[in-house]
Amino acid sequence: METSLGSQDLGTGTRTVIAIVTAETLGLPVEAVKVNIGDNKYPPAGASGGSTTVSGVSTSTRRAATEALNSLIAKVAPSLGAPADQLEAWDSKIQVKGNPAKSIPWKQACAKMGASSITGTGKTSNDLMSSGVGGVQMSEVEVDTETGVVKIVKHVSVQDCGLVIDVRTAESQVYGAAIMGITYALFEEKIMDQPTGRCLNANMEFYKLAGIGDIGEIIPHMMTGPGYDERGTIGLGEPPVISPGAAISNAVANAIGVRVPELPLTPDRVLAALGKGGVA
Amino acid sequence: MDAFEYASPSTVKEAISLLGSDWEDASVFGGGTDLISLLKDDIVDTKRLVNIKKVGALHAIRNENGALRIGAAVTLHQLLSASDVRKEYPAIADAAERIGSPQIHNMATVGGWLCQRPRCWYYRNGFGLLALDKNGNSLVTQGDNRYHAIFGNSGPAKFVSPSSLGPALVALDGKIHIEGPRGARDVAADQFFVIPQKQGEREHALAPNEIVTEITIPAASRGMRNAMYEVRQKEGLEWPFALASVALRMRGNTVENARIVLGQVAPKPWLADEASKWLEGKTINEENAAKAGDAAAQGATPLSRNGYKVQLVRVSVKRALLAALRESTNAAKGGA
Repeated sequence: METSLGSQDLGTGTRTVIAIVTAETLGLPVEAVKVNIGDNKYPPAGASGGSTTVSGVSTSTRRAATEALNSLIAKVAPSLGAPADQLEAWDSKIQVKGNPAKSIPWKQACAKMGASSITGTGKTSNDLMSSGVGGVQMSEVEVDTETGVVKIVKHVSVQDCGLVIDVRTAESQVYGAAIMGITYALFEEKIMDQPTGRCLNANMEFYKLAGIGDIGEIIPHMMTGPGYDERGTIGLGEPPVISPGAAISNAVANAIGVRVPELPLTPDRVLAALGKGGVA
Repeated sequence: MDAFEYASPSTVKEAISLLGSDWEDASVFGGGTDLISLLKDDIVDTKRLVNIKKVGALHAIRNENGALRIGAAVTLHQLLSASDVRKEYPAIADAAERIGSPQIHNMATVGGWLCQRPRCWYYRNGFGLLALDKNGNSLVTQGDNRYHAIFGNSGPAKFVSPSSLGPALVALDGKIHIEGPRGARDVAADQFFVIPQKQGEREHALAPNEIVTEITIPAASRGMRNAMYEVRQKEGLEWPFALASVALRMRGNTVENARIVLGQVAPKPWLADEASKWLEGKTINEENAAKAGDAAAQGATPLSRNGYKVQLVRVSVKRALLAALRESTNAAKGGA
């Protein structure tokens, strides 16, 4: 079983998601599916951007696999003595719906194809969205009121993205978003210089990014089940990056009793805010 | 980066003979954690790199009649692994530890830790160590100086000395052993760092054809309670906003002699003499540590954007003193 799609995996789990959708559609284990991506000889796919990749590849893969499965079922139906629309793919078999006793194993079913192969193609329609998701984030922080240093203790991201194809890679996206969110809330700043017109920190030592010791405990929680699943797959990569700045600065304001009105929340800004009031 | 010659001598004498009379003739290459980026960024041009890691004599770390002698090519990892260092000199060990990168610990040398060039972003963007515009005015004063000096900044130099070893060495009255074509000399750590007054001057006492071969913590400093505290946002790989290194000679609970040295706030490790003197004859407690911090912050001359560092000096000194007190308490209990 091969699924070919001119998409790409930036490390976000695109390959995994395509394999899962194909396998689930065909009633096969994930290992039975070979995924071909990252080459423009395969059918066109969207760019990986705008949080559209998973919703794009899932739908087209599902439709392609369904079309291929229907062709296979049509070839198998006579030997099971049932009309094609009464058959389903389940547990590596083609069977009469809900009746494993009346089934044919996947390999034998495929043997009915003879020397030729079956190909199905599917296209993603435009009604699927990269927007319309929701989420809530909460942050617990520690503020050193003598130095203005803010540390993240715990950051919780509750996130909806419609139908979650793979919880583990979805959570991984939320982790990544939280880390980048913590980074822009505390560290990230492009420093342009008036007298020279230069970017003063075009390097990794003063353009600061959070390291593993700086992110605290991150807890992603994906909303799944009724009310979420039936909305289909919606993009996830970017939405959870939006809230950390607000959640973290709210937590800091709650901790010290005064608001730090600018990101990132660096010691100079936190101390300046404390100088105007708050606990210190 | 322009092409350069690479030399790998095996003796100090040979290494010195490979250096030149101008800074551009040759660069001493230790761990390369700073020099390589300076070369790649075209901030430093050199005709020759002189690798000193093959000079066996520079790798020794030993205790000689109570004095700790550390070869210039000893890596930070080797330094941290030496049993004496963590126990006797937490001001040095913590400074090394807090750099927080195993890669740097394994590559960087003690000599390089001392001699690394300032991180001033005008310097690193090619505007020169003093960062003067064509009219001779300081770009640092006119521009973004959030990480720059708040002490010793009345001259053209506004950068901060980057070495977190520097303040600890000054506090512990360390000596820098220097060798050159005309022989060897010892320089007190405080004298090793220099605030350059005009273009072309360096931030240390080395001549272009000299190298640091060894660092010594004198026997007289053994037994001084010492500690450091640095303020930083990130756990690792970040330059501290400010730090304080302290060494105290105690008589019972009373400070007999104190050396409080500030880092990341001046073009050289900055001796807080007023605070040190004030502390003599006092006990270390929260209140006195805070007062010493206030005294250390006296006389600061912040630039347009780095006033917050004055507060960070107060806190660093207070916390370094309290850390030294804990060291002292541990020692009294027989712990390390």
